[in-house]
Amino acid sequence: MSRRGQTTRETDWLTIFLYLGIVGIGFLMIYAVGYSEHPDVFDFSAKHGVQLRWIGISLVVGIFTLILDARFFRFFAYPIYGFSVLLLVAVLLFGVEIAGSRSWFNIPFLGRFQPAEFAKFGACLALAAFLSGFNVSLSKSMKQRLQAMAIILIPMGLILLQGDAGSALVFTALFIVLFRAGMPALLYMIGLIVVALSVIALLFEPLAILGILSLFFMLVFIGNFRERQLWWLLAFTGLVTMTYLGYQYDIMEYMLALDGTVLLLLAVLLSQRKRGKLVGLIMGILVMSTLYAFSVNYAFNNILESHQQDRLNVWLKPGEVDPLGAGYNLRQSKLAIGSGGLAGRGFLKGEITRLKYVPEQSTDFIFCTIGEEHGFIGSFVLIGLYISLILRITFVAERQREVFSRMYAYGVASILFFHFFINIGMTMGVMPIIGIPLPLVSYGGSSLLSFTILLAVLIKLDNTRLTRI
Amino acid sequence: MDIKNEILWRIYLVALLLILFAIGIFMKTAYIQVVEGKHWRAVADSLYIDYRPVIADRGNIFAEDGSFLATSLPTFKVSMDCKSTAMSDELFNQYVDTLAHCLSTLKDSPYTAGGYRRMLVEARKAGKRYVLIKDKVEYPELLRIQGFPLFKFGRYKGGLIVERQSERRRPFQILAHRTIGYVRENVKPVGLEGAFNDQLAGEQGQRLMQRLPGGTWIPVNDLTEIEPENGKDIVTTLDINIQDVTENALYKAILRHNAEHGSAIVMEVATGKIKAIANIGKTEDGELWETYNYAIGESTEPGSTFKLAAIMALLEDGYVEPEDSIDINYGKMEFAGEEMVDASYHRLKSATVQHAFEISSNVGIANMVYRYYTRSDKEEQFIKRLKEFNLDQPIGIEIEGEGDPYIKEVGKDNWSMITLPWMATGYELKMTPLQILAFYNAVANDGKYMKPYLVNEIQEYGKTIEKFEPKVVKKTIASSNTIRKAQRMLTGVVERGTAKKIKADNYRMAGKTGTAIINYRKNLPAKFRKYQASFAGYFPAENPKYSCIVVINHPKQNGIYGGEVAAPVFREIADRCFVTHIDLQSPINAEAKPQLVAAKLPRIYSGYTDDLEESLLRLDLPVRSRTRADWASPRMIYGDSLELNRRQVNRGKVPDVRGMGLRDAMYLLGNEGLQVKAKGIGRVTTQSIKPGTTTRGQTVFLDLKL
Repeated sequence: MSRRGQTTRETDWLTIFLYLGIVGIGFLMIYAVGYSEHPDVFDFSAKHGVQLRWIGISLVVGIFTLILDARFFRFFAYPIYGFSVLLLVAVLLFGVEIAGSRSWFNIPFLGRFQPAEFAKFGACLALAAFLSGFNVSLSKSMKQRLQAMAIILIPMGLILLQGDAGSALVFTALFIVLFRAGMPALLYMIGLIVVALSVIALLFEPLAILGILSLFFMLVFIGNFRERQLWWLLAFTGLVTMTYLGYQYDIMEYMLALDGTVLLLLAVLLSQRKRGKLVGLIMGILVMSTLYAFSVNYAFNNILESHQQDRLNVWLKPGEVDPLGAGYNLRQSKLAIGSGGLAGRGFLKGEITRLKYVPEQSTDFIFCTIGEEHGFIGSFVLIGLYISLILRITFVAERQREVFSRMYAYGVASILFFHFFINIGMTMGVMPIIGIPLPLVSYGGSSLLSFTILLAVLIKLDNTRLTRI
Repeated sequence: MDIKNEILWRIYLVALLLILFAIGIFMKTAYIQVVEGKHWRAVADSLYIDYRPVIADRGNIFAEDGSFLATSLPTFKVSMDCKSTAMSDELFNQYVDTLAHCLSTLKDSPYTAGGYRRMLVEARKAGKRYVLIKDKVEYPELLRIQGFPLFKFGRYKGGLIVERQSERRRPFQILAHRTIGYVRENVKPVGLEGAFNDQLAGEQGQRLMQRLPGGTWIPVNDLTEIEPENGKDIVTTLDINIQDVTENALYKAILRHNAEHGSAIVMEVATGKIKAIANIGKTEDGELWETYNYAIGESTEPGSTFKLAAIMALLEDGYVEPEDSIDINYGKMEFAGEEMVDASYHRLKSATVQHAFEISSNVGIANMVYRYYTRSDKEEQFIKRLKEFNLDQPIGIEIEGEGDPYIKEVGKDNWSMITLPWMATGYELKMTPLQILAFYNAVANDGKYMKPYLVNEIQEYGKTIEKFEPKVVKKTIASSNTIRKAQRMLTGVVERGTAKKIKADNYRMAGKTGTAIINYRKNLPAKFRKYQASFAGYFPAENPKYSCIVVINHPKQNGIYGGEVAAPVFREIADRCFVTHIDLQSPINAEAKPQLVAAKLPRIYSGYTDDLEESLLRLDLPVRSRTRADWASPRMIYGDSLELNRRQVNRGKVPDVRGMGLRDAMYLLGNEGLQVKAKGIGRVTTQSIKPGTTTRGQTVFLDLKL
């Protein structure tokens, strides 16, 4: 069996078709956005023309990648990673600043290039190389855990320095790879609790959290009393009602003081019954949580920039933001998607899209165009294609013999998933607005090219999975 | 838990989370699009459907007799919504051919029926919702278009979009252009259009419009929700005939004297109504046009026309009488070391006051003022008199931009010993033509100073809603004695003085010439001097009907003096006013009944009988008898009607085609097998082969003349 024959037979055509389908839809959407001004498909002064050129470049680079020897990527994983980190440093020094973030290089003839996109590829490779290393076990070695995390956090930190928080957040997706590689689940639990606590802290005032937690732990304490539980529960219900009324009538502080006193009383009573350890733990958690809530609040008000605050507010408190101010983007986006209805307005007939009522609608909010013109049916198809692609990649990952290939595939799937979920979620208000593109669909050459390379390398690795690399 | 299970649950967890998130996204999409879809669609539609203003028709500006000076002509922009939601394919296909045909019959239509059909079909295919059918359609044509197939179904089903527009037209073009003025975007409004903009503009209406990609708005339906309230009409005091004469005479004078610019105003003595106001200046490319309202806005040193004020002050104060003799020292005299000379040379040592005024002797007038006011320390008295004549007050005319009069106060503004003598001759002060005219008008009106005005009334749908009455500013500016003397002096100027050239036989005029040097301060030699020639006066002298001023700035050829440059314009205006205005004439019906001369019948030549009859019928010319022959020539009978006579045409003989049109001639000659070569246009006057000659296929040369 010749090597060439093997290549054609084992190539994962499904992934390629899914890729081509999504790219094709993306092009049509970008064309629809600019259709009123540039009805000519091959108008290279229009965005869709530029995108068409980038699709061509991506296909060429993709095919070239498939021709390369698969071992190349494994052996050069760290150099490629190192190079991408170098680019991230360089862009901090020599890049052009656009809309507040210094994350672009101007390249003659090609236009702008964003090293952060390339860094995703580099990080995937390096992480895969590290995890496939000899005697690497995240479930055992703390040092190796930290090393793996460093591979993710170094590019992330540099991108954060560029002022591009959205692209930086994408790297957190790679923690899914670490989970698959055996990182202790407890760490993820703690992480989730911290995130949940942060959200609660942003949703409510820190004092309210103190109140809620006090009442919750009070219940735990009551559970530890063996006698007169009914009375305790009745008293507890009364306390909850009073606290709620206090909240309604703006005398929350007094009620909280009352709750705290009752909690302390219970704590003292319990410690006398030799439950000191439990009391100590719970009181410790209470204090830590409250302190954390305050610090989240502080960070929100003092570290985040005002547009970031706005975005979080739009996400968490949609009813409280000015629909024509901070909430404008989301409102317009929902308007476009919603007005598509079940079947959509029809290709090239999206009134809101064509009237440019949605901001950033050929890049971050491209999903609006499909939502408006093709309705729920179109959205269903596009989301279906994405889910199929991501699931296909995880399937492809699990059939790899090589740890390198499997971990790399998980990296690709994670990044794709994060982009897809955040981007589509944000257009509907499910996720906060984070300026990251919809992979393979949004207008933009760097993003398309880097996702193409990510997928092409995956296909190449999968293609040679039967041979040892 | 063994390693394998450990790995498996991790894989399942990841896959499960992935699917859960995906389901979450699906749910949200479904919720927004399917559950909330209607709500969002409604919000979206309301985004680009909005009430838009409908411009009201601007009111008209009329001359006093009701002729339009400025009017808004409604026109319509007709377009088609080729993809109107209610227009089915079936309906479109059924009517598109006939519609295309009808469109091709429109005046000046650019396409053939086939071209229109293709345009409409392609526009529908491309989903175009705003295809221009025809712009600037006038109402009768619009009615026709609304009856076209498909269009007759209206806005929704037929896709017909009609938008009303308004075009401002001035039927008389240059006439009073600057006074009528204009209102344009980003330009300071001018003239009556500007001054009465609030009344003329009306109130905007509202109409439901839909916004298309690209930002154009098209009406949603055929209705206008709030009808615009049309502007009110302004009836001016202008008389279109006098305005025409005035503008014309001024125009000719500016051309004849190659002047810089000029203005002329005609005013009704008794009321102060401005009957005509003409301003001729030059545009950037040197054409003559009404570029600026000099008559109202240009405040200059008036020159000798102001001597009337000086003389009247002297008369009013009783210092002199017209018959008194004064020293004019051969036209040269020094006042406080400053020499004054008369404009034209004369050899008079002394003259009567009347004569000095008539020949416009600077020295004479200045000398009197110098002696009686400056030297006797009564300068204030002189200024007080000028103020009594209302010369220090602006007119307060309706339109913007009036120049302020400037009269010095005693002791201020470089006041000196020579200020008064020079003021007496019309220097060291500034007046606009209209201000000078108002003063002359007061003299003509026996001392009653009327406020000049331009607008008679404001009308709404032909009904007067506000009327402006003549306004007396000063019951009398001087004693009737003084006024009478001043009137006599002004008459003398035309009878014997500087304006005697314009004296007419059939009526008498009164007035005063003025020749001011504009750039005297530069001490230029005579040939570089610039002058302003003017004439102010009124007519008829005995019973003044109109007052008029003509001011011409910097004439460069054919004379410079007021008597040569401005006075003839005055005369021309006066002549025409006098001839055309019945109330200035003595009745002629005292004489014998006038003989009515029959109008000449049109020249009708020979031709095809049916054609002749048809055209005579159209011309409403009576035909008494007709011939049954194919060819005829008309002849006049009884002096007022025609008969058609048979015209013999014999086969085989060269016919007589003289007097025929070329078409008939070619037909007849061609029938006989003759070649025709024709020259000229009109009717055949000569033919090279005599009528009656036998035909042999010769070539006949025809000469045609109109």
